Amino acid sequence: MAKSVFSKVDEYGFERSENFNYDVYDEFMSEYIRVLTRRAQRWNTLKNDIFNRPAVLKRFIRKGIPSDLRSTVWMRVSGGENLKNNSPYTYNNLREKIREQHIIDMIQIDLPRTFPENIYFSNNEHLPKMLFNVLATFAHQNKEVGYCQGLNYIAGLLLLATKNEEVSFWLLKALVETILPQYYIVTMKGLLVDLDVLDELVRKLEPVVHRHIHNIGMPWAMGTTKWFICLYSEVLPAETVFRIWDCLFSEGSKIIFRVAITLIRLHKEKILQTKELGELIGCFRDMKNHESVINCHKFMQEVFKLSGNLSNTTVRRLRYQYNIQDKDK
Amino acid sequence: MLAAVLTSFRQSVIFVCYHFRLLCIKLVLHRKTIYEKAFLCGRKAIGTLVIRDLTRKITSKLFLVNKIMATNRTGAAQRPNGATQGKICQFKLVLLGESAVGKSSLVLRFVKGQFHEYQESTIGAAFLTQTICLDDTTVKFEIWDTAGQERYHSLAPMYYRGAQAAIVVYDITNQDTFGRAKTWVKELQRQASPTIVIALAGNKQDLANKRMVEYEEAQTYADENGLLFMETSAKTAMNVNDIFLAIAKKLPKNEQTSGQGGSAQGRRLAEGDAGAKAPGNCCK
Repeated sequence: MAKSVFSKVDEYGFERSENFNYDVYDEFMSEYIRVLTRRAQRWNTLKNDIFNRPAVLKRFIRKGIPSDLRSTVWMRVSGGENLKNNSPYTYNNLREKIREQHIIDMIQIDLPRTFPENIYFSNNEHLPKMLFNVLATFAHQNKEVGYCQGLNYIAGLLLLATKNEEVSFWLLKALVETILPQYYIVTMKGLLVDLDVLDELVRKLEPVVHRHIHNIGMPWAMGTTKWFICLYSEVLPAETVFRIWDCLFSEGSKIIFRVAITLIRLHKEKILQTKELGELIGCFRDMKNHESVINCHKFMQEVFKLSGNLSNTTVRRLRYQYNIQDKDK
Repeated sequence: MLAAVLTSFRQSVIFVCYHFRLLCIKLVLHRKTIYEKAFLCGRKAIGTLVIRDLTRKITSKLFLVNKIMATNRTGAAQRPNGATQGKICQFKLVLLGESAVGKSSLVLRFVKGQFHEYQESTIGAAFLTQTICLDDTTVKFEIWDTAGQERYHSLAPMYYRGAQAAIVVYDITNQDTFGRAKTWVKELQRQASPTIVIALAGNKQDLANKRMVEYEEAQTYADENGLLFMETSAKTAMNVNDIFLAIAKKLPKNEQTSGQGGSAQGRRLAEGDAGAKAPGNCCK
């Protein structure tokens, strides 16, 4: 069979790392293109009718939203559409309120530092400008959060997926204000609680790994802060991240934990082979190039094998528990 | 004739010694596994005492054997897990400072000799290692590069806890970042290990024409607080290796170093005390 030649940048404009495994990718892509075509056909047959059939919608989303439908479907299922329709202000109204210099400065410093290895961000002034508008508008309309580093990566990927500033803004608002409350506020309380929740989930579901990590002495924040704060952007390949976000928007923040547990399970042997902290951290850092992570379709199937063990109720209960404990400290 | 007997006797002694030594090494290597098992079984106290005693005996024998073998190696007897040539010291070093002052760039320059005009902002923290040689000592730095934005502050203690060295970075073209650096120094003096070696780095020296923080001002502050001080440039590499080298020189390289070897931090914020209190040895 003839081998395809892949470019040094991926379909979203990211430069591939030097150790990118083209053979694995080739094998995956020849399969995945068929999946994508089939999914596109299926979505097309249902069109807008799909929003009236929640069970079908959920199943379809788990199998991946076709890229041209992403912004519409994300807006519908995340609550972004509702936020937009119920807001007394339009996006343009809100954008006109950008004025606070310290917020502007903070964001401007981070603009060229957001995806410098992505050709759409580094070779073009249009996208960084849109990114500034989204982040600054958001920061001004939510003073409790303002600008938190990490949001630049999320907004950046939203822009790459939707190519639309306004849609990206409402999606960012839905994520930060309803799907992941308190992650990005000044105390980062939501993040700290969720790190405890992750610890408990790993202890329950992968006790051997939990014991190993505890023995080596790695706090979860060291290995996984980026997973939570960047929602896997900058951690996993872009296509895998979008497949995760498809489900995150539709099913909520439990998805972050399911992905985390899946990543840990897939790398279980490697993790257990590590002997010291540096090695362990390296293992968490290098999950991006793993075969099982590049094959996003298979990866998502792995993620949903966890369904029974990791429901919204479980996550809610644990969050409540650790929230109380934190208050007691 | 006598010479032949002596030679063959000598050879057999060497043969026996060689195999005994191999056995000892195996036992010493095995020790770690035994430790771990004993620990897991919860019989740590008894288990470790017995094993420690045993391994001490074995290692002292090993020392004698080593002497007979007349190898070049020295110093294996002092420490059961010992390095045998020169000293290898491992230090935990943390970088702190305001966002975008060049913490990651300094590390990238020091570890990989590279510079990126637009370095991605660090979320959480990054971890790298680099080894330098100092006379007869090999110094291995375990470097924690932290996120600069104020709200990531609550995660910082986990990184500076147990650190033997810190580089507090500011940007010489931005007075605010110097203020923030002073806050970090204060926090380290209050909260970190009392013997921590702190270096102050005024980065972006290549932009000296836009300077907002005077060299003398920073030098005076550093002197008053007992800090190492250098102006650096990750871009031109000026003083980057030097500041790490100066830290390495200042770090105590004997066995009584306080703080820990760097690999046993506890859980987030609360539960790391057990590891931090243990008087660790930096040199192996």
